[in-house]
Amino acid sequence: MASAGGAAPFWRAAGMTYITYSNICANLVRNCLKEPFKAEAISREKVHFSLSKWVDGKPEKPTVRSEGADH
Amino acid sequence: MAMAALRREGRRFATPLLSSPIRSSIISHSHEEVANGVRSISTQVVRNRMKSVKNIQKITKAMKMVAASKLRAIQTRTENSRGLWQPFTALLGDAPSVDVKKSVIVTISSDKGLCGGINSTSVKISRVLHKLSSGPEKETKYVILGEKAKAQLLRDSKQDISLSITELQKNPLNYTQNVEFDALKIVFNKFHSVVQFMPTVSTVLSPEIMERESEAGGKLGELDSYEIEGAETKGEVLQNLAEFQFSCILFNGVLENACSEQGARMSAMDSSSRNAGDMLDRLTLTYNRTRQASITTELIEIISGASALEG
Repeated sequence: MASAGGAAPFWRAAGMTYITYSNICANLVRNCLKEPFKAEAISREKVHFSLSKWVDGKPEKPTVRSEGADH
Repeated sequence: MAMAALRREGRRFATPLLSSPIRSSIISHSHEEVANGVRSISTQVVRNRMKSVKNIQKITKAMKMVAASKLRAIQTRTENSRGLWQPFTALLGDAPSVDVKKSVIVTISSDKGLCGGINSTSVKISRVLHKLSSGPEKETKYVILGEKAKAQLLRDSKQDISLSITELQKNPLNYTQNVEFDALKIVFNKFHSVVQFMPTVSTVLSPEIMERESEAGGKLGELDSYEIEGAETKGEVLQNLAEFQFSCILFNGVLENACSEQGARMSAMDSSSRNAGDMLDRLTLTYNRTRQASITTELIEIISGASALEG
């Protein structure tokens, strides 16, 4: 736990959200697994979507985020 | 076949058939090479239609099987994921009617079509929500997941779309894009059973609003009775909780929508196979009638030719 009482935890100060923080932690835990289970866990982590922000009713170029084990 | 019965049948069919062979010979001229003087009623058209309808029926049956198997796979994941947000509802209450300034409507739809009416219902509900929550100083924006809702919402609400996400997501717990919001309403189709899907709206509030609500008492006020360990303040815990709640609800919503999509596709393909079967029956009847009519015409000609020879 953060020893600086009351201050925000370091990742929050760095601009990360709680979800990214927990995803990174989960990634670390997955990397600690042994071999047969490790492969399944890594496959669970894959995500693929294409995101495009809209400005003024027009979509910008979509960015395809195909995340593997390295985020 | 007695000759008398034939003659009777010939007399019955004689008058109407005298006109139709001429017409269909004109038609058959355009389809096949008919030698001069040969008049035949063409069954080619009907046969082609029957073949294509049968193919369509096979395809829709196959799609139904595929959808059924995908449904089975997703359904277990969905039921498991329901447990993710139920504690949240128990803890924080579900507040669908909180008055907020900025709200974002997340519409979850599918990318592929042929799944019945579920996408239209989601879009309809999003539009209603948008109307309900717009006012003088309120602002509503859309975040769209899926191609189908994008196409439909594009037509009239272009200005209000702030993000759109497409292509399949298997495990979207990686939602790192943050949209500024006060209240987030997620619209998706909740999966009740294979033939029943309820369009549902789940609400996620931002941490500030939750603070406000918890001051105001009610369910959220009971948060104060929980002890918070560690050095974090209540505001931070609420913020973490809100983000986690958002991602859980979104995850569950996407899964449920996927389930509903497969279920709707199953029933849509099933009814279309059945329609194709009905069409095939009707076409078979028409085909048989045409075939018998042409046989009868030939018989009539032979018999009348023979009787003319006899004198």
